[in-house]
Formats: sequence, C-alpha cells, structure tokens
Amino acid sequence: MWSEKEQRELEKMLPQYNTKRSAVLSALYLAQQEKNWLDDDDIKAVADALDLTVTDVHSVIGFYTLFRKEPTGKYIIQFCTDLPCALRGATKFYHELAEQLGLPPEGGTTDDNMFTLEEVVCIAACNNAPCCQINLDYHENLTHEEMSNILSKLRAKSEKESTTQP
Amino acid sequence: MSDLVTLKIDGIEVSVPAGTMIIEAANKIGREIPVFCYHSKLSTVGVCRVCLVKVGTPGFDRATRQPILDVAGNPVIRFFPKPMPACSTPVSAGMEVITESKESLADRQAILEFLLTSHPLDCPVCDKGGECPLQDLTYAHGRGESRFEYQRKHTSPKKIPLGDLIVLDTERCIICTRCIRFQDEIAGDHVLAIENRGRDAKVVSYTEPKFDSKYSGNTTDICPVGALTSRDFRFKDMNKPGVRIWELTNVPSISNYCNMGSNLVLGTHVGEIRRVMPRQNELVNEIWLTNKTRFGHHFHSSSHRLTAPLIKENGKFKQATWEDALSLIATKFHEAGEHIGGIAGPHLSNEDLYLFQKLFREVLNSNNIDHRICLNSAIDDDLAYEIGVGIGTDIGQLAENSAIFLLGSDLDEEASMLYLRVRGAVRRGCHLINANGRYTKLDTVANTKLRYNYGSAVHLVLGMTATILDEGLEDKNFVYARLEGIDKLKTKLQAYTPEKVADITGIDADIIRQAARDFAKAENGIILYGAEAGNDTALHASIRNLALITGHVGKKDNGVTAILPHCNSRGAADLGVIPHRLPGYHPVADEIGMSAKEMLQPNHGLQAMYIVAADIVGEVVTCKSAIETTDFVVVQDLFMTETAKLADVVLPAKAIAERDGSYTNLERRVQVYDPAILSPTPTCWADWHIITAIAGRLGAEWTHASADGVMQEITEQVSLYKHMSFENLTKPISLERKRQHYIYSGMSFTADVREGVQWATRAENQASFFELKFIEPENDMPQSDIILVAPRVAYDGGMLISQAEILANLIQQPKATLSPSVAQRLSLSKGDTVQLTSSVGSVALPIAIDGKLPDNVVLTPRNLAGSVAEQLLDGHNIFIGVKIVH
Ligand code: SF4
Ligand code: FES
Ligand code: FES
Repeated sequence: MWSEKEQRELEKMLPQYNTKRSAVLSALYLAQQEKNWLDDDDIKAVADALDLTVTDVHSVIGFYTLFRKEPTGKYIIQFCTDLPCALRGATKFYHELAEQLGLPPEGGTTDDNMFTLEEVVCIAACNNAPCCQINLDYHENLTHEEMSNILSKLRAKSEKESTTQP
Repeated sequence: MSDLVTLKIDGIEVSVPAGTMIIEAANKIGREIPVFCYHSKLSTVGVCRVCLVKVGTPGFDRATRQPILDVAGNPVIRFFPKPMPACSTPVSAGMEVITESKESLADRQAILEFLLTSHPLDCPVCDKGGECPLQDLTYAHGRGESRFEYQRKHTSPKKIPLGDLIVLDTERCIICTRCIRFQDEIAGDHVLAIENRGRDAKVVSYTEPKFDSKYSGNTTDICPVGALTSRDFRFKDMNKPGVRIWELTNVPSISNYCNMGSNLVLGTHVGEIRRVMPRQNELVNEIWLTNKTRFGHHFHSSSHRLTAPLIKENGKFKQATWEDALSLIATKFHEAGEHIGGIAGPHLSNEDLYLFQKLFREVLNSNNIDHRICLNSAIDDDLAYEIGVGIGTDIGQLAENSAIFLLGSDLDEEASMLYLRVRGAVRRGCHLINANGRYTKLDTVANTKLRYNYGSAVHLVLGMTATILDEGLEDKNFVYARLEGIDKLKTKLQAYTPEKVADITGIDADIIRQAARDFAKAENGIILYGAEAGNDTALHASIRNLALITGHVGKKDNGVTAILPHCNSRGAADLGVIPHRLPGYHPVADEIGMSAKEMLQPNHGLQAMYIVAADIVGEVVTCKSAIETTDFVVVQDLFMTETAKLADVVLPAKAIAERDGSYTNLERRVQVYDPAILSPTPTCWADWHIITAIAGRLGAEWTHASADGVMQEITEQVSLYKHMSFENLTKPISLERKRQHYIYSGMSFTADVREGVQWATRAENQASFFELKFIEPENDMPQSDIILVAPRVAYDGGMLISQAEILANLIQQPKATLSPSVAQRLSLSKGDTVQLTSSVGSVALPIAIDGKLPDNVVLTPRNLAGSVAEQLLDGHNIFIGVKIVH
C-alpha cells in the first residue's frame, strides 16, 4: 500500500537517481513490501509519484516476475521445472509438493494464504536442482524432508511475527 | 556533415555518412531489405531479425596492422560467421554486404517460419490483407506455413478494443514494438507498452481512457501485421458489408480539419468513403494523420445533409428549385444595395473565397466581408506576407542549429500535426522555447519553459528583443543591409529591459535573457505564435522586430507562423476575405468595410447577409439576435446549422470530397484536393459554383466552369498566387524525391504524391527593406485574481466532427478546469458546479481539476456546445478576468 511513509521514503531516494523514471523499480518494491502484491491504487500512486503513465508502470511490473498484480500467499515458492531441473526429477518433486500443500498441479495459494506455489522456468541454479526460490531466498539440492522443514520454519516465523505485532 | 564512409552492397559502391545503418545505405541504392521492427521514422531496436544479411569487413593482419591483400592487391574480405541485422549494424569503411546470400535467404525463411509458429493465417478475414508486410514477405521468402505444431498464440484473445478507435488482435502481433515506439517517440503519449516477456508478451494500454492519444490511428498504418486495425474500417465490425482494400479507389485529398493541410488518401468504394489514410508529404504531415482527420470524414455520408435549396415561407422552410432560390437572392441582394454583408468560413477553398470577395467587391460593391467568425479569434495576421517562414521550410528536418520560439499556443490541441513536427525537431536537437501562461504538452520536451502572466506576452518579446540589441546579438549584416529604424527601436526598448519586464511577465530577467540569446544565436529561427499570446498590433509588431533583428526571415527554416485556427484561414487572409484588404494583402482602395465583429453586433444596420460555410450562431450563441434582425439572410452550408435555421434561404453545398479545390496551409503552402465521391444529390453545388450563379443573376458575366478555372484567374489576378497553376499544384514529386520519401508500409501508394507550392514572402526578395516599428503595448492584463482562458481544442463542438459517431466520446463537454488549490480554496470537488462571471456575461459550469494548471487560471475551451466560453469573452483576446463562485 502506498502511504505517506512510502512517499517519504521515495522522496528520500529520488536524489540518487538521474531521472524520476529510473526510480521505478525501487518505488514498486516499496509499494509491494507490505502485502506482497500491487493493486491498481499502488500502481497509480507509483505512476503519479514518478510522472509516468500507469501503462508504463504496468509494463515494468510485467517484465519482472518478482512483482505481482494478484493477491498471493505470504511466501511465494517459485519452483523450477525447466529441462535441466526436470532431468534431476524436479517435475516429479514439484507435483508431490503441490499435493502436499493441497494444491492442484498448476499451483496456487494455500487456504491459509501462507504459500503460493508456482512452476517457473530456470532460476539459474540448475546445477543444484531440484531448486526453488521462496520470496528472495534460494533453496537448492532439495529433498522432501528439507522442503517440509523449510515450510514449517516459515510457518513458525509467520506465527511469531503475528503474535509480536501490536 | 559527418564523414562519408564507402562500402559495397551487392557489388554496388555507396557512400553514406558514418553511423548510417546498412539498411539505410542499401535503401539509397534501391536495394530493399525486408524489415518488420525497423522503421525509418522510429528508433532502431533490432528485435525481429528478418533483416539479416551477410556482412564482411576487410581483414587485418594482427601483427602488422595492415589490411590483408589478395594476389591482385584487393583487400580480402572476412565475412562474419553469423548474419548481421541490417537495421542495426552501422556501416564501416570497406564493408561488403550481400543482401540476398544463400544464407540470408535461408535465415529469412526461418525467421518467417518462426513468426508463423503461432501467427494465425487468417488473412481472408484480416483487414491488413493486401497491404501486409508479413503477408508480402511470406509470399516472397517464406514457406507459407510453419512446420511447428506449437500454436499457443492461436488461443490469444482477438478483437481487444484499445479505446474507441483501435482494435488489437494479440494473436497476430509479432511484438515488433513499432506502435509503442510511435507513441513514445513521435506522439509523446506513453499509453502503450509491452507487458510480460517471451511468449506471454503483449501490447497493453492501462491508461484511462485506453490508448488515449490524438495520434493513435497511425499505429494501424505502421503495424506490420494486422494486429492493430481501426474500428472505422474493420470490415467485420461495422454494420455495413466489408470491403477489401484492393477494391478501394484511392483519391488524393487534403484534411479539412488540419491547419497544416495534412495530405491524405480517400479510399472510396462505390461512391462512399471507406477509409482515410495518410499520403506522404515530408513537408507537411510526413506519413502521419491525426485521428480527427482520419476518423472525422463521416459528415460526408451523414443523413442530415442538406439536399435541396430551401426558402422560408411563414417561418417554415419549403423545398425550392435553384432557379427560384437564385432569383429571390438576386432580387433581395439588389434591394439591399450597400447594406449587405458577407461572412465566409475559413473551411472554404481558395476558389470559393476568391469568388466570394469578388462577388462583394465587384458585383455588390461592398467591402463588408470577413472570415474571422469567432469574435475572439480575430487574429489579423499579416506578418506572413512580409516575414512568413521561408520557402522550403521543413520543421521535419530542423535539428541542432535551429531554434523554435513557440509563443502562446498549445500545439497539441490547436495544430496537432505541427505538434508532431516540432516534437520531432526537438528530438533531433532543435532548441525549443515554449512560452505560455500554462502548462502545455510540449513542455515535456521543451528546452526552455517560460510561464508568463496572461496579457504580458508582448513584454516578454520586448524583453528578449532588448536583450539581443543590448548584447549586440542582432544579425548585423541583415540589420545593415535591410533594416531601418534600429536606433529608434533601441531607444524605445530601454524601457523594456529584462529587469523591467520581469515583474509584469512573472519571468526571471536572467531566464528572459538566456531565451533571447538562444534564439538569436541559432542559425535558423522560427517563431510560432498563437492566440494565448494575445492579439493586438503591439504584439505583432514586437514579434516582427524580434524576427527581423535576428535576421530570422526570408530564408528556408526561418520566419514566423501564426497558428491560425482552420484549414484555410491562411487562404482567406491571402485572398482578401477581410474588410480592409484585397487579395494579396493590398489595402482596399475605397472605404474599409465592416468586420465580422461589427456585422454581428445587434445594430449592424445591414439588410442582407450572405453566410457561407460558417455556423456563426453555433459558435457564438450571442450573435443570434444580429442575424435575426437582418431582413434577408442566405446561408450556404452542408447542414441545417443553428445559423441556417435563422436564414430566409438555405443553399445546399458540396462537401470537400465531392468537389475539387485548394487550401493554403499555415506555412502558405497551397495544396489541391481532388473530387472523390458524388454528393448525396445532384442539387448540391460546389460553393464557387453557387457564388458564380448568384453573380450571374446580378448581371456579372463570369465564365468559370471549374475550380481550376477559378484558380487560373487567381494566378492572373493575385501576384502572390502566380505560381499556383493547376499544373504546378498537381505535379507529382520527382522520382528522386520519392525515393527519399519511400518509407516502408503503412502507406497508400496508388494516389499521387504532391508537395504543393508555397508563395514567397516579401523578405525573400533580397532587395526588400523593412522598417522596424515599435508600438507601445497597451495594458492588456486582465485585472483579476482569476483569468479565464479559452483556447481552441482539437475535439470541439464543430458541426462536421460531431457527425462522426466513432469520435463522439472524445468531443469535449463544456467545463471549467481549475487547479487543485483553487478548488480547495472554494471547497470544490469533482462534480460540483461553479458560476463564472466576467464583465460581459455569466455562466454555470461543472468543474474539473488539473494539477498542472496555474492557480490563477480557469480553463474553458472555446467552440464547445452552448458556446459558454464565448459568452464570457469580450474584445479581441481569448482570456479575461473572471470571478468564480461555488
Ligand atoms: S501491435 Fe503491431 S506494431 Fe504493435 S508490436 Fe504488435 S505487431 Fe508491432
Ligand atoms: S533449469 Fe531449473 S534452474 Fe535452470
Ligand atoms: S531486426 Fe532488423 S528489422 Fe527487425
């Protein structure tokens, strides 16, 4: 969400950029921080703050897979099933993971809004397949056991965060 | 000129400036290399790869750094192992290019096959069919279909409306980005973009309203496939049977909406206009058209057209014969004697306007004629005669050594085609000084933005002139050889130094000084001035002095241009449809006649009025009583306008596409248009024909049988127009020029390409002298905290454009636009209504808020429904002090 806080932070950053337009990635990152995705208001706010048209901002969002325009779970699991990974069993792994999370084969978001699972094409960690990226962190040479560990750690982390929050 | 580089293309030697891309060098010698993404008017991106060619450069011995020579002593050419894109590979000395090597032909075939992996072969239902580069290249080089079974795109959505005018077929798009580059680079409306990557990439517009640009139609021309098509022509969308493009007859014409005189092609089919396409004229519209011109042609086929003469009897119109109508007119005009006045609209052709003034001056013996309908747009521009832009001026080529001083005009709205060209000039490095009282779209690219207080533009010009004289930046040779009165001017300008005008203009003295230097030092300088600068003799004199002392007159790419409102405003002034001047800017010998403004005052004392192609009441509702109180009014038009309703006789005229004629554009270029279709009934007559018939009834023995015949007489009678013979005006451009013009796709080639003819200004005569004139500015500053500004907009309430249903949503509704802080001060929010009151009138208007507007301005365009702005304006300016109450 774009609030005064984001606006202030952006204004602080702007002098580092040659043109306002160059700040678009940082601005989008700010806008996405809170709820992990961008709604129309966020996009409009970024466009207005940087003197861009919303069409331009959409085009940037569409180019980068880390920006999202639909609600997602708190953690986004981007699981590679491209050829090199597939050769090391990634496709099978992915399908099993989907089943574990109670999701259909094409992925989606768990009922508790905790995880979003996505099949992606090459995250440049082919040598350590199966691999995935969860939000900004990489997890490589995965086994199912490890994966369950990671997921429960994340669940615990999220719980802790929500209880410590006022 | 940058250094020339010599290379060989297909064995032919060619020299081109360093930095040229292979494709342009090849084009120069007539070798066509296929392209999709490349377009010579746009930046190069090199994304489609269809232009691959075999390229080699002379081999060098690494050790000796000497070229390797063969036994015969010729350099050995080392060909690159991979093909190179011709559109984005710059030439180098000694390079050899083979455009149709076995490898490149195979590459082309492969690229086409890749493109067709998921491009539907739906040519039988595609509007591009017949002029589609993909179709043509596939025909020339391709397999005709793809061996791939991967047809993912065939499920992509078709017929996505991008706004009201353009339809996108994502399935057909090959992501060449031409449309996006056009919008970003040429139009400056960033409303299209590519979203996503790879196979998911698609063209999108999220802007509201979608694809919001006055120039969007051009993307349908340059799209190399049938992905972008216009809703106006899409044969499957419209409710009438479709027509394939090869069934169209293409007739050259000129835009009746464009004051630059955009060249166009009317594509007709069984007597109906089915589409309008640009006709290339690099000196006028290049290859572009505005949407207004492209989609505004529907008035021709409107069911509301007048089809027979009408005579009012007991308050009701009755159909009459031409015979009866003309006899009645002759009798009444005769009776009125000298108490007659005439107003002719600036949409008429030169031929009509010339005969109109001839009828009044020679047959009716009256100088009561005018073309300046809208009271407040009464720019009387005669600077063009002396110092209009030089012959051959081409803003489309202006670059680093040039400066444009744009004063008081929002070109995007008022002269859209000029906007595109000025924007292009700035992109090529031309220095733009944009001075206005408010933000206008060219501010986004202007090098210098000057924001003056309304009414003070003349002081800004004087301040700049004073700076130039003070710093000795005037063109000394020109001043010495051609000017008189420089010392007197210097003395007068002492009261107008930048410091002294800073206060009144609201612009910092140093900034004024810098602008003056930039303009004076440029090798070429053009001044464009519009109605927001004001409209009085002091302003015109100051502009004249600035152009003269800098020597920016009388030669190509130098001079002044008034932003006149209509397609033939220039012609109307040239041909003397004005009370004080005869054709060719000669002052009238006898008494000066009444101006439109005087004729439209309630007590004008006229008994008869002849109004041709001018909806006076529609434009300025307050003129109604002046017409009502005239005994006998003849209105000649296409439609039963508000003015026609008040007439005693209404005469049906032919529309532009139904006849021939000529227009003179802002830059004094005379251009002819051809007849393309028949009028709704044979009882519609061309305006010049009607005027001739009336003159005949009044005893004149005119023998004009065609518009060309009238033009012939003009060439003999008006020395300015002596070169405007039919032969000169219709001369197709030379083949050599045509080759320079040739631009891939998006064109209708079958119609004649002409350039038109400009008349020479006085300054072009090297023996002409000029006297510098200083006129003390009156204090024209509106005395009020808030100033109403009423500029012209592209989508106004004009009768002709209102007939185009497809543009209906774009027509502006009257509103008062305010800055956010004014809105806040008056606690106004969206949807509220305010009462605007000036010294002459008061109107209520819904508001809109625009963050870019200065706090002392309220904007209400002119010529909208109900002519609200006109009710508030007085005098000759388009701005006036107002009060706003909630
Ligand atoms: S719509 Fe046409 S012009 Fe635009 S990217 Fe697609 S193919 Fe190119
Ligand atoms: S293919 Fe899976 S990370 Fe590269
Ligand atoms: S890559 Fe050269 S034309 Fe597209």
